[in-house]
Amino acid sequence: MEGKEQKQHKQKQHQQKHSGPKAQKKNRKKDKGSEHEQDERKRNPRAFAVQSAVRMARTFHRTQDIKTKKHHIPLVDRTPLEPPPVVVVVMGPPKVGKSTLIRCLIKNYTRQKLSDICGPVTIVSGKKRRLTFIECNNDINTMIDLAKVADLVLMLIDASFGFEMETFEFLNICQVHGFPRIMGVLTHLDSFKNNKTLRKTKKRLKHRFWTEVYQGAKLFYLSGMVYGEYQTQEVKNLGRFISVMKFRPLCWQTSHPYVVADRMEDLTDPEAIRLNPKCDRTVSLYGYLRGTFLKNKCQVHIPGVGDFSVSDVSFLSDPCPLPEVLKKRALNEKERLLYAPMAGVGGLVYDKDAVYIDMPGGHAKQQQEDVRPTTELVQSLIGTQSTLDAKMAASKVSLFTGTAALAPEEVQESGKQSPTESREWDAKTQRERRRAVFADEEEEEEDDDDGESDEEEESEEEEDESDEEEDDEDDEDTEAGTATPGKKAVNKAEPPVKKKKVEEPVAEMPVFADSDDELEKSEDDDSEEEDDDMEEGGALKRGSGPDSGNCSEEDEDDEESDMEDEDEISSKHPEDKEMDTEEDVEMGYETAGALRWKEGLAQKATDAYLRQQRATPNLRKLVYGTVVEVQEEESEEEELGGLFKVSRPEKNKRVRADAMDCSRFQPDSSHDWDQKEMLASIKDCFVTGKWEEDKDAATLLKEDDELYGDFEDLETGEVHKAKTGNKDQTEGGSDDEMGDDDDNDDEEEEAPLVKFDADEAQKNKRMEKKRRLKERFDAEYDDGDATYFDDLKEEMQKQAELNRQEFEDVDDEVRVQYEGFRPGMYVRVEIPALPCEFVTNFDPHYPILLGGLGASEGNVGYLQMRLKKHRWHSRILKTRDPLIMSLGWRRFQTIPLYYIEDHNGRHRLLKYTPEHMHCGATIWGPITPQGTGFLAVQSVAGTQANFRIAATGVVLDLDKSVTIVKKLKLIGYPYKTFKNTCFVQGMFNTVLEVAKFEGASVRTVSGIKGQIKKALRTPPGAFRATFEDRLLMSDIVFLRSWYPVSVPKLYNPVTSMLMPVGKKDTWTGMRTVGQLKHDLGIRNKPNQDSLYKPVVRQVRHFNPLHIPRELQKALPFKSKPKQQQSKGKTPRDLSRPAVIREPHEKKVAALLDALSSVYAYKNKKARTEQHAKHKEFLKQKERDETEKQKRQKEERKKIYRSMGQKEKKKLKSSLKGASKDN
Amino acid sequence: MEFEGCSCFRQRLVLSTLSGKRVKIKNIRSKDDNPGMRDFEASFIRLLDKVTNGTRIEINQTGTMLFYQPGLLYGGSVEHECNSQRSVGYYLEGLLMLAPFMKSPLKAVLKGITNDPTDPSVDLLKVTALPLMKRFGIDGDGLEIKVVKRGMAPSGGGEVHFSCPVRKSLKPVQLTEPGKIKRIRGTAVSVRVSPQIANRIVDSARSILNKFIPDIYIYTDHMKGLNSGKSPGFGLVLVAETLNGTFLSAEVMSTPQGQGDQILPEDLGKKCAKLLLEEIYRGGCVDSTNQSLALLYMTLGQQDVSKFLLGPLSPYTIEFLRHIRDFFQIMFKMEPQKPGDDERIGGEKVLMTCVGAGYSNISKTLK
Repeated sequence: MEGKEQKQHKQKQHQQKHSGPKAQKKNRKKDKGSEHEQDERKRNPRAFAVQSAVRMARTFHRTQDIKTKKHHIPLVDRTPLEPPPVVVVVMGPPKVGKSTLIRCLIKNYTRQKLSDICGPVTIVSGKKRRLTFIECNNDINTMIDLAKVADLVLMLIDASFGFEMETFEFLNICQVHGFPRIMGVLTHLDSFKNNKTLRKTKKRLKHRFWTEVYQGAKLFYLSGMVYGEYQTQEVKNLGRFISVMKFRPLCWQTSHPYVVADRMEDLTDPEAIRLNPKCDRTVSLYGYLRGTFLKNKCQVHIPGVGDFSVSDVSFLSDPCPLPEVLKKRALNEKERLLYAPMAGVGGLVYDKDAVYIDMPGGHAKQQQEDVRPTTELVQSLIGTQSTLDAKMAASKVSLFTGTAALAPEEVQESGKQSPTESREWDAKTQRERRRAVFADEEEEEEDDDDGESDEEEESEEEEDESDEEEDDEDDEDTEAGTATPGKKAVNKAEPPVKKKKVEEPVAEMPVFADSDDELEKSEDDDSEEEDDDMEEGGALKRGSGPDSGNCSEEDEDDEESDMEDEDEISSKHPEDKEMDTEEDVEMGYETAGALRWKEGLAQKATDAYLRQQRATPNLRKLVYGTVVEVQEEESEEEELGGLFKVSRPEKNKRVRADAMDCSRFQPDSSHDWDQKEMLASIKDCFVTGKWEEDKDAATLLKEDDELYGDFEDLETGEVHKAKTGNKDQTEGGSDDEMGDDDDNDDEEEEAPLVKFDADEAQKNKRMEKKRRLKERFDAEYDDGDATYFDDLKEEMQKQAELNRQEFEDVDDEVRVQYEGFRPGMYVRVEIPALPCEFVTNFDPHYPILLGGLGASEGNVGYLQMRLKKHRWHSRILKTRDPLIMSLGWRRFQTIPLYYIEDHNGRHRLLKYTPEHMHCGATIWGPITPQGTGFLAVQSVAGTQANFRIAATGVVLDLDKSVTIVKKLKLIGYPYKTFKNTCFVQGMFNTVLEVAKFEGASVRTVSGIKGQIKKALRTPPGAFRATFEDRLLMSDIVFLRSWYPVSVPKLYNPVTSMLMPVGKKDTWTGMRTVGQLKHDLGIRNKPNQDSLYKPVVRQVRHFNPLHIPRELQKALPFKSKPKQQQSKGKTPRDLSRPAVIREPHEKKVAALLDALSSVYAYKNKKARTEQHAKHKEFLKQKERDETEKQKRQKEERKKIYRSMGQKEKKKLKSSLKGASKDN
Repeated sequence: MEFEGCSCFRQRLVLSTLSGKRVKIKNIRSKDDNPGMRDFEASFIRLLDKVTNGTRIEINQTGTMLFYQPGLLYGGSVEHECNSQRSVGYYLEGLLMLAPFMKSPLKAVLKGITNDPTDPSVDLLKVTALPLMKRFGIDGDGLEIKVVKRGMAPSGGGEVHFSCPVRKSLKPVQLTEPGKIKRIRGTAVSVRVSPQIANRIVDSARSILNKFIPDIYIYTDHMKGLNSGKSPGFGLVLVAETLNGTFLSAEVMSTPQGQGDQILPEDLGKKCAKLLLEEIYRGGCVDSTNQSLALLYMTLGQQDVSKFLLGPLSPYTIEFLRHIRDFFQIMFKMEPQKPGDDERIGGEKVLMTCVGAGYSNISKTLK
């Protein structure tokens, strides 16, 4: 309706002219438009002129600042070409919809339904991305572990309830262990009936989420459920978000290899378990390798279990590979793989007492096919472990010939060990699994024994495949919880040789048993020969004597078979040879079979011999011996219980064992440096020698000439032409036409065949020249604004390129030895000596991680860390209270000591962590690189109401000793004081102790400082000290010193994975003293001094002040002590009685009073009058006086004047007289 | 890890210290008339103990078995009296491998024999090992080897100061092109003999080398008085520098007083020059003495590909490679490179490639 109305109201649009003068004008304007814009600067230069230099500088600085802020330190990009699946952790409090979300997402990606989310689920989500979904339960152990491996966290929040503590705890855990990507998902939004409250809640939650993660973090809304699932469109959107998301590399993850195990198998000998159900187990774990390269035989940590060293790592074909061809836009049905062995997807379902093959209706054949790859993998693993008789026992069963699943009874019959009903679910699966494997293996073995080639099978497979494809087309909506054709393809691609190799040790054994000593001998010989070769210094020439037959052992894989055959001829004991060689596997069963190898032996032998002769000495063999084989040999040794001696380079070298340890390389005696030829052989090593074509100065000069030779002198008009050095060298670069002309000339001149080559050469030359010119130009051009940052980035890029390319074309088997297993590979890790609880209490809902440890990260030492109590944790932490830390891969309990650094660098022990400040902490724990973050919780058991994360921080330093000190006050009492000297006792016990502290400064409680001087002989421990003032006897002397504290060596890994199923979140370690007292009901005896008692104050009594008599005399009277006694009471006899008057007397007295007052008044009046008169008189007198003085002054003046005149006259006359005299 | 015999004693201890793995060496000269460890080995252990913290060493009574549990590298100022059975070079080679990974920069004073015929002398390490370390990013003011006093075998009395800065991690290197030799330098050393001997050595060495390149300068270093140590002796160290900054060196020292035949200075000069030619013939981006140092630094680099061109691997290096595999699980890819027919650049080379172990200095304190 509204739309219609709008349309009605819409006014008629202005019609633009397309012709006519107006349109022409407009067109003209449009044409000139660009010009105009350019002209703007010219037209109005003032507008673009610099108004203020300061402002300009500021803007410049600001832009530069912004630009620089965006920079990160460039890192070498080490992501593998085929990255491992992205780990998506779905986290949230219980009942928030985690499993539902995972189920919906899986359905969205793969169209498959998964009933129970059990363990990691790997799916192919796109052409280049795979995802592994892991559900995180509410246990803090799981949260910590998963935060360390997560790439993306889907944080589910129940909007109807709001945030829960777990959410914040998890966020804080993530923050500590390198922040992975976090995406919030709000669920239960359908519980809001009011739209406004819904909107408000969304907004409130969003803003709170933003403050925790970052402003603008993505928060997703899942509005409601439809048939118990989230709405398809919303899930699809979420899926899209996930599949395009980019991830930042996290420091810890990129520097450590790790595996999120999606499959676990117990390889322990069933007999050993039967004898001792608690024996240590050998377990193999499967999963995608992530992080970085994993080395064989490295140390790993399994969080919740402990540290273990890996006994063997091998890589398997990818169970969930990415689609191979990338031409289509979307994935087709077959490529949407799902792999979740723990959830029963991927072929097999493990039940109480049997293995079922999961087969949805109508997919029978496909199922059968799908099982193959898995079982083959299994077989490859088991191969080395299972004994022959176990196989023999199972050999009659051919498990997979029939299409239907095997009945459990059948299996039980065939298997040697039948599972007992009493066992737990997990243990059972392990055993069952193994049994299934035997059968399968047996089947293959049978094939081999019969001399059948695999081809038959393959053809079968192909048939099946085609069938299956038809099936696929028929019904696409099946819920096949299975692996798919992709896997099968991989399987088929594997060469048959590989299969043989896998079985090898099994086949070997029977042959071995009889002739071991001879084998040993021959091996020894071989190794000796190798030694000799080595001493030759690099030039290994293998003789083809009888003993050299064993060298086949060290040959490359491809060569092996041939070499082997040759051995057979040359050696006297062909049977012996078979054993030590890697190929004897083949031999083993071939002898059992038809001895086919004898055909064409001679031919092979000659071939091999020739190859050997011309082969360059294989350095790798020389240095490392036989690397591939060594491991297998070792396993042999294990199996055969020390019957054999493994020929490893170190062990054979008895002769060299005590050789001189010197890095000098003695020169080759064959080189005689007096001969001319020898001298000539190194001539080109010097700058004076011949240079390579492309670096020779002359050629370079010539090329430059060609590039820049053509020029025209503009003044003279002279044209300089480049000289073409060779006939076939044309000038390129500057003018192509010229070059073309020349080409044509050449073509005409030369014969067609030669011409072709020449053409090629010319073309190459020209290309080369162009390239060089371009390079030079680039270098010059880029130099202008190339910053340090750009250079660094480029360097990193080059390194990354090199890393990728270096081992690209090397076979995986070999590559693994150079690089280690690279991330993205699906690996099987075999770990011996795991505690049996790991297997018996296995719960697939808890993730198993394998965290690789770097060099020396397996050791234990002291760690200094910077720690801060979490501001949401309600209590401060006490020194020496055990804490559970999550550091690196590990979770462990330890006892921290808190300290703070004083300004002189002293680490002073603190009793408690400061409230809002960082402090230091030292623990005894696993060595972890500096800069690694950690978090601490007080307990991992159960859920508490409070925020569980107690502290966070970072590792600062690793050490093997601690530097924490605590304050120690030694107290002594003076027992004799002189002026400033004092004898103190009670501080030390012996003279020796005092001697150690001579010169130390001491202080009294009253604040007088002093110094320890010397020990006194008696009493022991007493000393003489001097102070800046005289001490009172009642004073106390103390010495402030620092005492080093030792950190308790408690390192207790949290073994939560070993707890029984359902109780995995109840691990408790060492209890705090407080908890212990609480649990045992012990109460502290309080210090008597600390108790509150009624205050009883004694009255102080002061002695009177005594002033010496001498001093008294000298004092002024005011300060003199007054000697007079205060007047006491007048004695009674002296006191006069009061007079009481009679009435008449009273009258008289009153009258007298009145009279006297009248008299007094009169007197007073008269006196004032008199006074005034006298004043008048005085005034008069004064006036007269002044008058008189004035007069007298006049008088005197006159007199003096006359006198003066007289004097003058007298003087004059006298002068005259004198002059007369003169 | 368990080993037998005393060969590669230093390698094992040094790699153990770096990797943190404990080592047990059994049967040290157990069949010898004089069984057990020698004094110089004990001295080396003592030196390791000085530069580390928390090292545990157990030696059985006969000295035929050693258990070594490494501590953390500490560094700082260290003074060590090196045993006179081996020269300072023996100890210095071990220190060079450890020095960049200390907690605080190492300042070591090593006293003993500076030059003897068996081990690479301090002068040689100074001119070759230090430039090599610079290639791996260990540079700056602190990096220095200084010969304060020279002490010849057998009595010694020399003093060497070695200081090295610490690094968090090492750079990966790609050194595949040694370049052409642009100059030859050298030092003719003489103590407690006539200063003229040095000149005689120089002349004889030049007579051979002049055929190849004119840019030769050989310094004469004659130390007197207190700085001259306790024994007489002389020798020559030659180093060839290439355009790409590769240093190849050779040295010959006179036989110690009272041991074996005397050697004439002229013969010594010629022998040394020929040794240098041999070294050039072997070629590579580092000379044969420092091969193991270069390989170690490659191993301890970040998880990137490093490439290094070496001459033929010396037996010592081969042992070292095996030990690296044992301690760090790292294998090198080795590609022999043969020179072409018309090229006259010496013998066969080996291109060593490896991916670093991602080692980082865990001793260094974070501030």
